[in-house]
Amino acid sequence: MEIKILAFGIIANIIGKSEYTIENIYQTDELRKYLEDLYPRLKNLKYAIAVNLVVSSENFDLTNGATVALLPPFSGG
Amino acid sequence: MSEKKIKKIFIEGAISPSFIADAISKHSTKKDIGAHSIFLGQVRNDVINDKVVKAIDYTAYHEMALEKFHEIRESAFEKYSLTCLHIYHSLGRIVTGEISLFVFTSSMHRKDATEACSYLVNRIKEEVPIWGKEIFEDESYIWKQNRP
Repeated sequence: MEIKILAFGIIANIIGKSEYTIENIYQTDELRKYLEDLYPRLKNLKYAIAVNLVVSSENFDLTNGATVALLPPFSGG
Repeated sequence: MSEKKIKKIFIEGAISPSFIADAISKHSTKKDIGAHSIFLGQVRNDVINDKVVKAIDYTAYHEMALEKFHEIRESAFEKYSLTCLHIYHSLGRIVTGEISLFVFTSSMHRKDATEACSYLVNRIKEEVPIWGKEIFEDESYIWKQNRP
């Protein structure tokens, strides 16, 4: 069970990379906790999670090979 | 979703005034248009903690951004009576005074063009995964935050 993580904006800065894979994380809530334990700065940041391009505020099941993007507040325009 | 429908939106670097002029002139053959509305977003020299912004470096989640642009575009066509609609957004480093967003709507009468243009700009700022890094004169930076 492997998922691809994409990090953008300030989150890529905090994590120190923009693309990598992790194993054995099965839900988005579990992923948030895992990341926030590793990178406590994420706790003070509002960010959305997109699974295979779909953003959901609910806890979401992750499947093998899913692409999970960590999206800090947008600032285009 | 078909690949064909996804329009080219991103431009590497600033959007030049001549590109905008060309976009306008291309519409002279569409004689049913009575009104154009244009929004141009320009990079501003904000002062943050006594430091002056000299550029914004834009990055995007490309795949998701293009889908979002497509969705927003379709919704504008449903909501307003538009003849056509174009959106361009810069990526990479854009210095102050340069244009980084170009939204261009055309309709028979002005109300649809002006309202659609404002609707599009709002949705782009709120919903499209693009991030701006504000770079100061000493090359330090902060991540930009859009105001509502």
